[in-house]
Amino acid sequence: MILLATLLLVVLALAGLPLFVALGGGSLLLAANGSLDSALLIIELNRLASSPNLIAIPLFTLAGVLLAAGGAPQRLIRLFNAMLGWLPGGIAIVTLTVCAFFTSFSGASGVTILALGGLLFPLLTKAQYPEKFSLGLLTTSGSLGLLFPPSLAILLYGIVAGVNIDDLFLAGIVPGLLLMLILAAYALVVGIRFKVPRREYSSQHLWKTIRASAGDIALPVFLITGIFGGFVTISEAAAATVIYVLLLETLIHRSLSIKTQFYPVLIDATVLAGSILIILGMAMGLTNLLIDAQLPMHLLDWIEDRVSSPLQFLLLLNVFLLVVGAMMDIFSATVVVIPLILPLAQRFGIDPIHLGIIFLANLEIGYCTPPVGMNLFIACQRFQKPVILLFLSTLPFLLLMLLWLLLVTYFPVLSLWWRS
Amino acid sequence: MLSYLITFRNGLISIENLLAAASLLLILLLVALQIFSRNLFDIGLPNIDTLSRQLVLFIIFFGSMLAIERRQHITIDIICSLCPASRRPLFRFLNLVAVGICTIFTFSAMRFWKDAWQYASPSEHWQVLIGLIIPAGFMLLSLHFFLSVILGPDRITYKMTAP
Repeated sequence: MILLATLLLVVLALAGLPLFVALGGGSLLLAANGSLDSALLIIELNRLASSPNLIAIPLFTLAGVLLAAGGAPQRLIRLFNAMLGWLPGGIAIVTLTVCAFFTSFSGASGVTILALGGLLFPLLTKAQYPEKFSLGLLTTSGSLGLLFPPSLAILLYGIVAGVNIDDLFLAGIVPGLLLMLILAAYALVVGIRFKVPRREYSSQHLWKTIRASAGDIALPVFLITGIFGGFVTISEAAAATVIYVLLLETLIHRSLSIKTQFYPVLIDATVLAGSILIILGMAMGLTNLLIDAQLPMHLLDWIEDRVSSPLQFLLLLNVFLLVVGAMMDIFSATVVVIPLILPLAQRFGIDPIHLGIIFLANLEIGYCTPPVGMNLFIACQRFQKPVILLFLSTLPFLLLMLLWLLLVTYFPVLSLWWRS
Repeated sequence: MLSYLITFRNGLISIENLLAAASLLLILLLVALQIFSRNLFDIGLPNIDTLSRQLVLFIIFFGSMLAIERRQHITIDIICSLCPASRRPLFRFLNLVAVGICTIFTFSAMRFWKDAWQYASPSEHWQVLIGLIIPAGFMLLSLHFFLSVILGPDRITYKMTAP
């Protein structure tokens, strides 16, 4: 009976039942199966309120929504275009840089493609980049900044895995930059191959754009100094970022009206954060029940019988996570999958920080992988193109990202260099 | 009858919008106050951390209620992505399942809250009172899903998106 109900719940989840409801239903079934009081699940939800870093998620989300509403994407495009647009593949590199910058603040919730796609797609095609390349680039770039601070995905992983978030932020920088370099090299090759005309470099124009967006580019510096300099905690850094962005957009750029725009921005941020955190709350109850039922231990026994080396385990982990990434979004995957794979990874000697980077790298790729890679559908809606065309367009990028994934997985030093 | 329900739903959403925005703003102000008091006056304000963490529960519930109306909840949704025609017929049924699950959680949360109130020391009663958001939140989530069952997929979804 319980098995049948679980199967029905899985089918309903695949049919579009909100994930938090599906997870809640699963926990209720497990509790009933173990003759446990379902009030236990509420204890787990209430325990969320004791996590000190949790406050950072709604606050960084607010900062991202404020930046988008205040016109930061347009300012950044102008700046990076003046800075890098003269290079072969210049505008494509601009696209990569702006999207990574913006995603690190907005989270990979599709906001990047929605907010920047409309601005960058015409820019790329006007500059004579092939349409397929432009679509692939924008679809892939929607999740590029996931490994840079203050990425929401990193914050969530840190909370779920109980790992120091400062360390995770440090660990993500080199792999994130490496991916940017690989994709920039590809853009450069395409720029040369298709003889894309280059814009003229003008130091006067560059200076003008630097002055216009100085406040935006100072933000990551301000954030990194604050956190790694030990001046503020993660949550305080998030609040300071919101205040900084608010002052920047309302007093300096005057692009955001407190009277008319601030209220809807607050609501948008609450909806985004609420829809992520409720999954976390529900998954915590489910995870606890699964641990009580010794599922991770059974899984460990099963894998230990079949896998003997960490190398084999990492390969298997990559395949599994790519499938997860293609089926689930990053936030739900984090809260559901991490508690199950963390003990396995530790058993094979994988550092939890390194595991976090591997995990996020896989899911970053999963965003663009069929059947349900979220970026494919968002781009499909944004650019009004068929999903199959978008998938074919992202294929070269996916191959490059898989190569990057292998590097990140099998060279832990890329994530853990700062430990030495 | 339906028009009354739509008016009721819109009124409910307006109140929830207000409470959602107020909760987020309050968290921001409390954390900012803590930074200033610690760095300028070298004192940490007691209970501010606890209060701001409790307020995250308000964000979770009000954000989720509004996400139902905006259809912005995270879903896996493979079946409907591959077969968009199945979306409409399934809408009411999925919302009905959600009503059932959220209602069970409402009763569980009420039991949890009663116990928490009973065993809390008088100095912790304020935290337990704030924790009322958990049963109330689940009840309101059930209500939103129930309204979606009644009103169906074609009714106008209340939306407010930042310009």
